[in-house]
Amino acid sequence: MALDEKDLDAMLNAYPAKVKKNRKKHILVHDSSQARQEIEANTRTIPGIITNRGCAYAGCKGVVLGPLKDMVHIVHGPIGCAYYAWGTRRNKAKAEDSKQNYLNYCFSTDMQESDIVFGGEKKLAKMIDDVVATFHPNAITISATCPVGLIGDDIGAVAKAAEQRHGIQVLGFNCEGYKGVSQSAGHHIANNGLMDKVIGSGELTEAPEKFAINLLGEYNIGGDGWEIERILQEIGYHVIAVMTGDGSYAALKNAHVAELNLVQCHRSINYIAEMLETKYGTPWLKVNFIGIQGTIDSLRNMAIYFDDPALTQKTEAVIAREVARIEPIMEQYKRLCEGKTAFCFVGGSRGHHYQGLFAELGVKTVLAGYEFAHRDDYEGRDVIPEIKPDADSKNIPNLTVTPDEKLFKLKISPERAAKLKQTIPLSNYQGLMAEMTDGSIVVDDLNHFETEALIKALKPDIFASGIKDKYVVQKMGIPAKQLHSYDYSGPYAGFNGAVNFAADVSMAFTTPTWNYTTPPWKNQPLLAGTIESN
Amino acid sequence: MDTNVHFRSATENPCKMCMPMGAILPFKGLENSMVLIHGSQGCSTYMRRHMAEHFNEPIDVASSSLNENGTIYGGEKNLKQGLDNLMQVYAPEVIGVLTTCLAETIGEDIDRITSQYLQERGLLKSLIVPVSTPGYGGSHAEGYWQAVKTIVSHLATATPKHSKLNVIIPDISPADIREIKRILAMMQLDYTLLPDYSTTLDRPLVKPYRKVPDGGTKIEDIMAMPGARATVQFGLTLEQNLSPGHYLAKEFGVPLYNLPIPIGVQNTDLFLQALQEISGVAVPAALQDERGRLLDAMVDSHKYNFQGRSVIFGEAELVYAVCQLCLENGVYPVTVATGSKNSPLAQLLQPKLTDVDHPVEFIHNADFVAILAHSMDANIAIGPSDGRYLTEKQGIPLVRLGFPIHDRVGGQRILSVGYAGSMMLLDQITNTLLAEKQRGYRQTMYDTFYRGADRLPDATLPNSGLRGERHEL
Repeated sequence: MALDEKDLDAMLNAYPAKVKKNRKKHILVHDSSQARQEIEANTRTIPGIITNRGCAYAGCKGVVLGPLKDMVHIVHGPIGCAYYAWGTRRNKAKAEDSKQNYLNYCFSTDMQESDIVFGGEKKLAKMIDDVVATFHPNAITISATCPVGLIGDDIGAVAKAAEQRHGIQVLGFNCEGYKGVSQSAGHHIANNGLMDKVIGSGELTEAPEKFAINLLGEYNIGGDGWEIERILQEIGYHVIAVMTGDGSYAALKNAHVAELNLVQCHRSINYIAEMLETKYGTPWLKVNFIGIQGTIDSLRNMAIYFDDPALTQKTEAVIAREVARIEPIMEQYKRLCEGKTAFCFVGGSRGHHYQGLFAELGVKTVLAGYEFAHRDDYEGRDVIPEIKPDADSKNIPNLTVTPDEKLFKLKISPERAAKLKQTIPLSNYQGLMAEMTDGSIVVDDLNHFETEALIKALKPDIFASGIKDKYVVQKMGIPAKQLHSYDYSGPYAGFNGAVNFAADVSMAFTTPTWNYTTPPWKNQPLLAGTIESN
Repeated sequence: MDTNVHFRSATENPCKMCMPMGAILPFKGLENSMVLIHGSQGCSTYMRRHMAEHFNEPIDVASSSLNENGTIYGGEKNLKQGLDNLMQVYAPEVIGVLTTCLAETIGEDIDRITSQYLQERGLLKSLIVPVSTPGYGGSHAEGYWQAVKTIVSHLATATPKHSKLNVIIPDISPADIREIKRILAMMQLDYTLLPDYSTTLDRPLVKPYRKVPDGGTKIEDIMAMPGARATVQFGLTLEQNLSPGHYLAKEFGVPLYNLPIPIGVQNTDLFLQALQEISGVAVPAALQDERGRLLDAMVDSHKYNFQGRSVIFGEAELVYAVCQLCLENGVYPVTVATGSKNSPLAQLLQPKLTDVDHPVEFIHNADFVAILAHSMDANIAIGPSDGRYLTEKQGIPLVRLGFPIHDRVGGQRILSVGYAGSMMLLDQITNTLLAEKQRGYRQTMYDTFYRGADRLPDATLPNSGLRGERHEL
């Protein structure tokens, strides 16, 4: 079953006219025969629409900073925000020193009404002192919540004074929830802070080993990053820093020496990727370690970049061995999944990445979209010059970097880079739409009403999204797969992850539970035939 | 000892959430209702996420999606537009509008904005209940009561006397609400229970799916609460200014029975005694049987329960009732903690501690670091799932109860009220103590009697497997 523009139009009639006009620009039927299709994204959420989007604080502390394990992340504000970002994203981490892993902790200044009236700077400063005395972290971050900016607490000044007192870095992030239009603003704020204050501050001036890389935009949810690192290390790569899943402040400081930056989640980390290129001359490669083919393509592209015969050979050997190992298993699952359809609506990259893995299982993605992406995540980076900055995006400070006098080193010649760009996504991202089939629906900032309407219209067999949709979807009789936290499962990345994902999705299709939703008395009489009456 | 302000300025691993989070819940228990949070959209998104994980149900909460512009020019336009959109798509009968840190800090007057909105659109006052819930104003428990109180004060209108009973409940599980209703029916009482999220947040899987679920307290019933014959409120720890029962008593003269949550034999007795007094109907034999069974279970389990030393934490009202259950079964508390700043827990419970042979620590504004510091001698914890910190750090097993429960399914189905519910909770406590005992029993016996008592391991070591074993071989 497919939808056309007319059906979409009819669906949107449930809205007030103004809302309909707005939402129409965020939904389209993919049609590759058109030279290009424009989708509106990263604009203000319509009030009263039940959106899945979060806030700048969620993007900054919750997504980018939170997984850095050897830093204490203090949330400056009333208690709620700290609580709500406590352990919810399932970022896994193992610390070399077990005392230097603070991921299970939630730190808050727990501002009270008096702090709102008289300011919370003193409380924050005192808290930093306590945290240093008790935990001795490598560094500290402070994330601001809504009231902090409004009452004018200067967290930068508090951070600076604390640095002088304690001799460790204390970074302030003004990621008040009202900034920007979604968590995307927070990613940008976090990127700027880490780039400005941490990356490049390490002692290394060159990579300690060959094939040194950073892995950006990988948050190690359910252990994804570990599976990716397993493969990379076996091939012979040396991972310097992961941003930020299982990442550390200590490693991040030396991220500038890598020969190549891999970008998994484009949306949340592309700012750092770009700045690393400008400041240190390191290009980035868009990778996708979700799905077998995605993983293979990413590995081969990396080998092309490094252009080393032994590395290429090892890459192919690992690919061949892994594929031979998992393909028979995948084949079993494929039989259970073949011919099904999926909705794939996640944050800023998974809405794209999981389509390949679904396809490998014979599941067609009929609708995909992002919660908080920008147009380039849909249409590709070529569109960036056309995106006009608006009042909201202008509110997020832009960090401008210049080539570092000491550490800038072109990792490959401009000529070779230009040539490579013809074949591999070097410092480029084509976006989600490039890989979607014609007739499928692309939707930005899908909301509660549209979720229900589109499920009714397209009747997908599985809905891959997050916990806020999960129970709506399941109440409608359709299995849901959480692609934010993986329903306590994972990893789903790499080769082993593909098998885990196949098993979980197959389970959703084959669980006998769905067979019992209609009670037998609604279907047929218990006794066939008629009972003779005397 | 009553610890209110612990020595640290840091809050690590909190034992509370913020006001608007608590205020969503009562609105989910009104018929055909929606909630809109006036603030950054992150607030509603985070709260939906946490409630969905506890209830395993859709939690649809709208936001006015305020942004930087709104912080300068005010959020009135966003709020009104949000209400328009909510009305158009969901056609609710009542909308709870809750404030946030952001709205309160910039001084949004939601009473004015919402009443103006209703006037402009020609709508009834009952359509919107505005509740002031700044995130810094208290914990989620205060948010819950602030919302219930405001729902009552906003909607209740002078009504001729009628035969219904008002029943006002704190944050208990949907299963608990169903049990309260079953008991009320057995006592042949007609009632208005507020808020009733027994169906809305524990929905049967039936097709077709409805965006706004069936069930919930009817608005006209809330309006008629002032005419009720009496109010039974489980709000013993409530400050009067947050108490809807006191409001109805003061404004409309509705007699108030302010009782503890009926957990444990004494608290359930109080509830049934009140119902008997109000209805004139004797407690039926079936309920007397249930009481008898609970007592039978208490007698059967007392030798195990007396080895229990409990840490009880969470929302004050629930903590009070669970303490009572623990006290009457010998699972004597070591630490009693709540995230609320002010609660009369210590005053209420202190007189009942005469039989307890160890000091009991009361902690307000608690976080789990403070709780743990005072719980080294405990062998069972009872409260929401964040208490797993106590298990991880100190090996104290946790009986999950209250809100939120994030790491197990079925938070919405935990039954702990009435004689039957109390028995289920008690069995779980007893069995947790037994499981803990059995986990290390053979080792303890071996160490003590075979290797000699000097080899007795230190039971305060984490994961020694011996939390239940030190005094009671």
